[in-house]
Amino acid sequence: MLMCRDLARIASDYIDDELGTAQKLSVKMHLMMCRHCRSFIGNLRASTDLVQAHSSGKPDPELVRRIDEQVAQALDAKKTDDFT
Amino acid sequence: METATHQSEEDILIQGLKSGNEADFQKAVRLYTPGMMAVGRYYLDNASAEETVQDCWVSVIDAIQNFEGRSGLKTWLHRIVANRAKNHLRKNKREVSADFSEALEPELANRFHPNGRWATPPSLRFDEDAESLMENGALSDCLDQHLTRLPETQRSALMLYEAHQHKSDDVCNILDVSASNLRVLLHRARQKIFLMVETFQETGEC
Repeated sequence: MLMCRDLARIASDYIDDELGTAQKLSVKMHLMMCRHCRSFIGNLRASTDLVQAHSSGKPDPELVRRIDEQVAQALDAKKTDDFT
Repeated sequence: METATHQSEEDILIQGLKSGNEADFQKAVRLYTPGMMAVGRYYLDNASAEETVQDCWVSVIDAIQNFEGRSGLKTWLHRIVANRAKNHLRKNKREVSADFSEALEPELANRFHPNGRWATPPSLRFDEDAESLMENGALSDCLDQHLTRLPETQRSALMLYEAHQHKSDDVCNILDVSASNLRVLLHRARQKIFLMVETFQETGEC
């Protein structure tokens, strides 16, 4: 029988639908009986959504400035090469 | 419909990059650098990752001419960074080290009785949806801090899978991990974020 700790181990696989049919069924059966695991799965899913909703990250402005500068130089050099 | 619009926006950007338009490069740099850094940081320290991403952008000026659109632009860029980062590692004779042995975070593993039932169950339901939770600036800052503190391997896996919405196969390919090891990285990272949100909800502190 699937215990709470076993379910906690495979909770992400359940959320991402990566479990086989038999294992998925035993998770569903367990969740019907166990409110703590329902909370855990719900909260783990909410945490995952939170990372998704959090911006995919703003690039470091200093890094962006350096890349812009290098790209501009390389583009200029290429134009000069093409012209000559 | 949304995908079609997105596709055509990407196609326009690709055309701009192929014709060497500086403004399109600036736009692409802002759009794709965070994901490229997530790939670079999986393999390298921050300074080496920044250097690799910078070099990649310069190489893209020529390489984009051969881009045929078999994958999306994002995946193509991420693969370039991964290949360069792996070369960098090889040259320096180093390897990525990550712990794939245990699926449960120790802090969570301690919350079960020996019989496998919860001893300290999750105390609260995070009832609000993610968007409204993120409106809480303090929680957003706290999430930033915790994402920064994650081991690089877990953070990169989480960012590529969740924030940059790559499919599992792509993440495995870019990060050179097996599907089962990717599952461990993702699950460990999610548990840490779960524990962070739980503490924040209970105490209001990060």
